[in-house]
Amino acid sequence: MADVTLRGVHKAFGDNPIVRGVDLEIGSGEFMVLVGPSGCGKTTLLRLLAGLEQCDQGEVLIDGKVMNDAAPRERNVGMVFQSYALYPHMTVRENLAFALELRKTPKAELDARVNEAAQMLELEKLLERRPKQLSGGQRQRVAIGRAIVRRPSVFLFDEPLSNLDAALRVQMRGELMRLHARLQSTMIYVTHDQVEAMTLATRLAVFNLGKLQQVGKPLDLYARPANKFVAGFLGSPGMNFLRGRVGKGAVAGDGFSLALSPRYTALEGREVIAGVRPQALTLSAQGGVRGEIEAIERLGTEGYAYLRTKVGTVVARFEGGGAELKVGDAWGAACEAASVLLFDAASEEAIAVQP
Amino acid sequence: MTRVGGVAAVKRAIAIVTLACALFASGVRAEAPPEKTRILVWHAYRAAEETALLMLIDQFNAAHPEYRAEALALPYDVYPSKLSAAIPTGHGPDVFIFAQERVSAWARDGLLSPMDADAAMMPGEFPEAALDALRSKGALWGLPLSLKSVALYVNKSLVPVAPVNTDEMVALAQKLTDPAQGRFGLAWEAGDFYHHASWLSGFGGKLFKEPEHRPVVDTPEGVAALTFVRDLMRKKHVMPEEPSAQLVATLFNANRAAMVINGPWFAGEIHGVDYEVVSLPIVSATGLPARPLLTVEAALVSATSEVKDGARALARFLVSKDASILRAKIGRQVVATRSAYDDPGVGGDTLLRAFRKQAESAVPMDNTPAMLTVWEPYKRALTAVLSGLLEPDEALAQAQRRLNAIAKPMPPPASPWPLLLLAAGGILALSIWIRRRPVRPDAPALYHDVRRAIAYCTPAAASILVLVFIPFAIGVGLAFFHHGEGRYTFVGLSNFVDILTSRDYRITEPMSFWFTLAVTLAWTVANVVLHVSIGLFLALLLRDPLLKFKGVYRVLLIVPWAVPNYITALVWKGMFHRQFGAISALLATLGLEPVSWFTRFSTSFAANVVTNTWLGFPFMMVVSLGALQSIPQDLYEAAEVDGASKWAQFRHITLPLLRPALLPAVILGSVWTFNMFNIIYLVSGGEPGGATDILVSEAYRWAFQRNEQFGFAAAYSTLIFLFLLGWSALTRRVAREPSPEAA
Amino acid sequence: MKRPLLGTALVHMGLVVLCVIVLYPLLWVVGMALSSQPGLQQGLWPLPAQPSLVNFTHLLTAQDAAGHFTFWRQLGNSILVATLTTLVGLTFSVTAAYALSRFAFPGRRLGMTALLATQMFPATMMSVPLYAILDKLHLLNSLSGLVLVYATTSVPFCVWMLKGYFDTIPKDLEEAALLDGASQGQIFLKVVLPLTRPALAVTALFSFMTAWNEFVLAATFIDDQLRFTLPVALQRLVGEYKTEWGLFAAGALLVSAPVMAVFFALQKNLVGGLTAGGVKG
Ligand SMILES: Nc1ncnc2c1ncn2[C@@H]1O[C@H](COP(=O)(O)OP(=O)(O)OP(=O)(O)O)[C@@H](O)[C@H]1O
Ligand SMILES: [Mg+2]
Repeated sequence: MADVTLRGVHKAFGDNPIVRGVDLEIGSGEFMVLVGPSGCGKTTLLRLLAGLEQCDQGEVLIDGKVMNDAAPRERNVGMVFQSYALYPHMTVRENLAFALELRKTPKAELDARVNEAAQMLELEKLLERRPKQLSGGQRQRVAIGRAIVRRPSVFLFDEPLSNLDAALRVQMRGELMRLHARLQSTMIYVTHDQVEAMTLATRLAVFNLGKLQQVGKPLDLYARPANKFVAGFLGSPGMNFLRGRVGKGAVAGDGFSLALSPRYTALEGREVIAGVRPQALTLSAQGGVRGEIEAIERLGTEGYAYLRTKVGTVVARFEGGGAELKVGDAWGAACEAASVLLFDAASEEAIAVQP
Repeated sequence: MTRVGGVAAVKRAIAIVTLACALFASGVRAEAPPEKTRILVWHAYRAAEETALLMLIDQFNAAHPEYRAEALALPYDVYPSKLSAAIPTGHGPDVFIFAQERVSAWARDGLLSPMDADAAMMPGEFPEAALDALRSKGALWGLPLSLKSVALYVNKSLVPVAPVNTDEMVALAQKLTDPAQGRFGLAWEAGDFYHHASWLSGFGGKLFKEPEHRPVVDTPEGVAALTFVRDLMRKKHVMPEEPSAQLVATLFNANRAAMVINGPWFAGEIHGVDYEVVSLPIVSATGLPARPLLTVEAALVSATSEVKDGARALARFLVSKDASILRAKIGRQVVATRSAYDDPGVGGDTLLRAFRKQAESAVPMDNTPAMLTVWEPYKRALTAVLSGLLEPDEALAQAQRRLNAIAKPMPPPASPWPLLLLAAGGILALSIWIRRRPVRPDAPALYHDVRRAIAYCTPAAASILVLVFIPFAIGVGLAFFHHGEGRYTFVGLSNFVDILTSRDYRITEPMSFWFTLAVTLAWTVANVVLHVSIGLFLALLLRDPLLKFKGVYRVLLIVPWAVPNYITALVWKGMFHRQFGAISALLATLGLEPVSWFTRFSTSFAANVVTNTWLGFPFMMVVSLGALQSIPQDLYEAAEVDGASKWAQFRHITLPLLRPALLPAVILGSVWTFNMFNIIYLVSGGEPGGATDILVSEAYRWAFQRNEQFGFAAAYSTLIFLFLLGWSALTRRVAREPSPEAA
Repeated sequence: MKRPLLGTALVHMGLVVLCVIVLYPLLWVVGMALSSQPGLQQGLWPLPAQPSLVNFTHLLTAQDAAGHFTFWRQLGNSILVATLTTLVGLTFSVTAAYALSRFAFPGRRLGMTALLATQMFPATMMSVPLYAILDKLHLLNSLSGLVLVYATTSVPFCVWMLKGYFDTIPKDLEEAALLDGASQGQIFLKVVLPLTRPALAVTALFSFMTAWNEFVLAATFIDDQLRFTLPVALQRLVGEYKTEWGLFAAGALLVSAPVMAVFFALQKNLVGGLTAGGVKG
C-alpha cells in the first residue's frame, strides 16, 4: 500500500541509454501493467524500482519518499524475476520461507503464510522438492509464491505467468486479481500477453525504446492510442496501417479508400497514416480496400483474412467459417468511418480532433 | 533443521573457532616464568643416541639443581637453517650438537662461543684431529662428542681374514662376486663423495690447495682414485651399480655383499650376519692407508645464550669421562674422550674400538664453507664416471670447472645510488601515470562498493602483505648484494649480469642459465599437460552418474597426493634402479633389456616426469571434479539434441565452460611445477651431470651448497619470478581471460 | 540414458587397471612399513614374506621422557593445525574471492595478478625473513603462527579457485535475496556459500593438505617437541647418515590416512550440479 513515482528517470548501461526520461505515477493499490516490445527496458525499470540498479538521473519515490539511495530491503518491494532466481540449494518450502525467516517471523505465522501461498499456487505437493526437480511452470509459480508470502507494499512482477499453460494462466490471473483485491498492495506487472494486460490492469503503460508512450485505462489506450506505436502494439492481430492522404470525407492512397468521419474534414490534403483494427474491417466483395488473399486464419465462428494490397498487407475479419474464401482470390474490405484513426505521417502521433 | 538453521550453526562454529584462535594465540606465549634457568639443547639424534643424550641431561639436571636442561630433537634436514635463523634472533638453543662442517661460518658470524678454556680443563682427553676439526681462526669452538667415519665391514663367514691392502681386497672381491646371482664382493655408496674421500686420501690426494685453501679436485691422485673405483664397478664388476644405502644394507644382510664400507650407524642395520669391522685397507698402488673423512660431532655453545655458564657446564659434562662411557654404551657412539676407553665395557667393545682406531687415522673434514661446495661437483663426477658416461680425468676436470665457477671472485662493489635513483624515478613515473590516467566518467558508479571490498579483502591482503610480500621484498633486495665471509656487499646488477650472460658456461652446457631455463620449461609443460589431461579425463569418467563405485575410485586415485612425497619419490627412484628396480624386473619379464635411467638426459627427464605426474594428477582430478560442477547439465542435453558427438560436447561445452575454474589451477600448477625441485632432487638428482636440474635447484644450491651465495641465489629467484610473471601474463592473454569488469 | 554393458565393463576395467598402476608404488611403501628389517625388497613384488607390524606399534606407542605419547600428541597438533588452517584460509579466501568476483573496485585485476605473483618467488629464500617477521609478531613457537603462515600460503590458490566459481553463480540469486530482505552477510552465508560447495570442498582439501604435509616451516618455527606436527616427527627419521625406512614408511601411511578420511568426507560435495534449476535459461 504505497504509491510509486518515477520522475525523469534515466538509466544507461555504458553508452547505451536504456531508460530515457520516464515520468510515471502509480497510485497506491493500483494494478499497473507495463507492456512493450522485448528489450525496451521494462525489466530495467523494475530493477530501478527494486533498487537493484541506481538511476543516473531523476528520482524514484515510494510512498512519497525519495528512494534513490535506499537499499532494496528498505523499499519493501517484492519481485518476481523474469529468470525466477530460485535458490537452487533450498527446497520449495525453504525458498518460500526464506524472506520470512530473515524477518524472524514467528513459526506459526510463517507456516501459515507459506501454506497459503502454496495452496494458492497449487504447490502443496511440491514443497519438499528442489528447484531442479520442478517444471518450468512450477518454478515460475514458486517465484511468484516467494514474492507474495512477504506481502510487500509494492509487487514487481516480471512476466510472471509466461511459462504457464493457458488454463493455468487464466486461473493464476484470477488468483492474482483476488490477491490484489485482498492485499490492496500496489502491483507493477510486466507482460507480453495482451489478454493479461487488458484484464489485469487498472492502468496500462506502454513502453518503447526506453520511453513511456502512453498511460491510461486499458480500454482508453485501446480505443484512443496516443500514437501509431501504441495503436499497433495493443490488440491482436495488430492494427492495419495504410499510408495515404485525406480527401473529401475519406482517406485514400494507392489502391484504397476509406470513409472518414466528418470531423476530419479540416485535415483535407494532409499526408497521414490511417489505422483500422482488423476487428473493425470487414471482408466484403466490394469495400474501399482491395487486395488478393494471402492467408486465411479460420477461428470457427469468425476469422481473419490477410489481403495483399498495394500499401502492404491488410488484415480483415470475416464472419462464419469462411468456406467461400480461397487464397489468391481478389477481395475487398470495408469499415465504418468511426473506426478509422489517423496518425501524422511524419511524427506518427495520433491526430486528435474535437468530436 | 532447516537450511537456514544449518547456516546459523556454521556461524556459531566460526565464532567459536575464532575465539579459540584468539585464546590459542594469547595462551601459547604466556608461559610461567621458569623458576630454574633453562638450558635448551638442540640435536638431531635418534634412537639409542637420543636415549643416551636424554639420560645424560637428566643426570645433569639432578646434579645441577639451579639449571633445567631440555632437549629438542630436530629433523636433520631443517636443523642448520633453523640454527641460522634462530641464533641471531636470540631464540636459538644454548647448547647444540652438530658436526664440524659449519663451524667456521658460524664462528665467523659470531654465533658460537669459544671453548678453548673448557677443553683446557680436560687436557689430553681429545684426539688432536678432533680438536683441529673444531678450530677456526685459532680458537676452539666446540667440545668433541663423537667421531664418525667409515670403515670396512666384512662378512666373517665369507671373508675369514680381512684384507689389509687393496690388492687382497680386490682379489677377494673377485672371488666372491657372482653378478648373475646378484652377489658382490664389495659394496658401498660409491656415488657419494663422503665414502669416496677415503680412496682419494689413499691415493695420496688432498682436497684443498694451500695456502689459499681452494678446493682442487682435478689432480692425478684424484684421477687415480676414481679410476680405481670405476674399474671395480665397471670392469671387474665386483660392486653393484647405483649403490644406495638401502641396497648396500640389503645385500650385506642377504650375504650377497661380502665387504661393505660404512659407518658405525650401519651396525644397527645388520641382522643375522656375523661380521667384523676393520680399518680400511692400504692402497697397494701407493702404500698409503685409505683414510676416511672424519666428522666430529660436537657440543657447541651459542653466542647469544643467556646461560653461557650453564651451557658450558653442560657441554663439559657431556664430554666427561662418565658421560662418554654412557654415550658409548647406550648410544653406541664412538666417543672422542680418551679416558672413556679405559672402561672395559667401552674399550672392550670391538665395534667401538675398530671405529675409534679408524678415526685415529681419518682425515678431519674441513670446517669452512668451501667444503660445502665440494659435495655436489664431486658427486656429479662420481656418478658420471661410475655410469660410464665420462672418463675420470674428464669428469674431474668438469668438477673443477664447477668449483671454479662457484668460487668466483666477488664482483666489484657498486654504488647503490644509480639503482636507487632509478627506482625512485620509476615510482615517480608510475605515480604520475596513475594520477594522469583519464578517470572513467562512470568511475564513481562503477566503484560504488569500494568500502565493502576493502572490508572483505583486508584479512587476506594483510596476511599476504606481511607474510609474503615483506619476505619477498627482502629476497629481491638481496639479489643486488654479494654474500661472502658473512658480509653483504652491494654489487648492483652484477649478479643478474653474471647469470644472464652465463659467464661461466656456454649456453648450450647443462650448467648455463639458458639451458636450465629450457629444461625447466620442458619440465613444466610436460608435467602440466600430463596432470591436466589425466586429471580432467579421470574427472570426466568419475562424474558419470551411472558409474558404480565412483567414490571408491576417487578415493583410491587421490592416494598419491595424500602420502608424503618424500617417500614415494624415493620409492620411484628405487623402481628405476637399473639392476634391482621393479621397472627393470618388469622389462625383464617382457624379455627386454634393463634401462640405465639416469645416464641419459631423455630417460632421466622421463623418470622425473613420470614420478611427478603420478604425484600431481590427483590434485588436478579433484580440481576438475569441482570445476565440472559449474557446468549445467542441460547444456549437454541441448548439445545431444543438436547432434553433437561426445568429443564435440567436450570441445565446445566442457572445455570453454571449464576454463574459468580450471585456469587458475593450470596457471598455479605450472608455477608450482616450475619451482618444484624436490622431486628432481630425489629422483634423478639432476643426473646426468645436472642436465635435468631446473632453475630453482640452482637457486637452492647457490644458497645452501655453494659458499652461501645468498645474493646469487636471490638473483636466480628474482629471475624466476620475473620469468613466471611474464609467462603468466602471456598465458592469461592467450587464454583471453575476460576482464573482471565484464563480470 | 542407458549405457551398453560392454562400455561399462570397459570403463571399469580401465579404472581398475589405472588404480593398480597408481597404487603399485604405494605397495612398496606398504612393503617397507611391514618389514621388520631394514633394506629394500627387490623385483616386482614388494611385500615382505613375513609382514610385521612392529614399525606401526613402535610409532604408535613411542613415549617421551615425560610419558607423553608423542605420536598422538603430534597427530593432535597436526589435526589442529590443518583444521584451523583450513578454516582460517577459507575464511580469508572466501571473503576476498567474493569481493573480487562481485564488487566493483579499482585494482581487482592487479589484486588477482598479485596473488598469482606470490606463488612465483621460490620459497627457499623466504624462510629466514619469515622467521624474523614471526618473531616480531610474537608468533614463533606457536601453532597459531604456523596456522597463519599456512593459511596465507593457501590463500592465492583458494581465491583464484573460488573467484572462478563465484563468477558462475547467477547474480539474480543474490538480487532475489536482496529483495527478500537479506543483508550482504546473510546473502553471502545463506545463498552464495551453500552454492559454492564443490569449490569449497576443493579448496578445503587444498588448505588442509598445505598444512598437513609441511615440515620445513613447522620445524623451523616450532621449538617444542610436543608442539611439532607429525611431518616434522616423520622427517626426524631421515638422518644424516641413515634413514629409518621402515618407520618412515609406516609413518607416511599413518599420516596419509586422515587425508583420505577428509577427502572421503568432502568428495560427495564434488558432485551434483548445485546451481542447476535456479534460473531460467
Ligand atoms: N546489465 C546490463 N548491461 C548492459 N546492457 C543491459 C544490461 N541489462 C540490460 N541491458 C540492455 O538493456 C536493454 C533493456 O533490457 P531489459 O531487460 O530491461 O528489457 P526488457 O524490456 O525487460 O525485455 P524483455 O521483454 O525481453 O524481457 C536491452 O537492450 C539489454 O540488452
Ligand atoms: Mg525483461
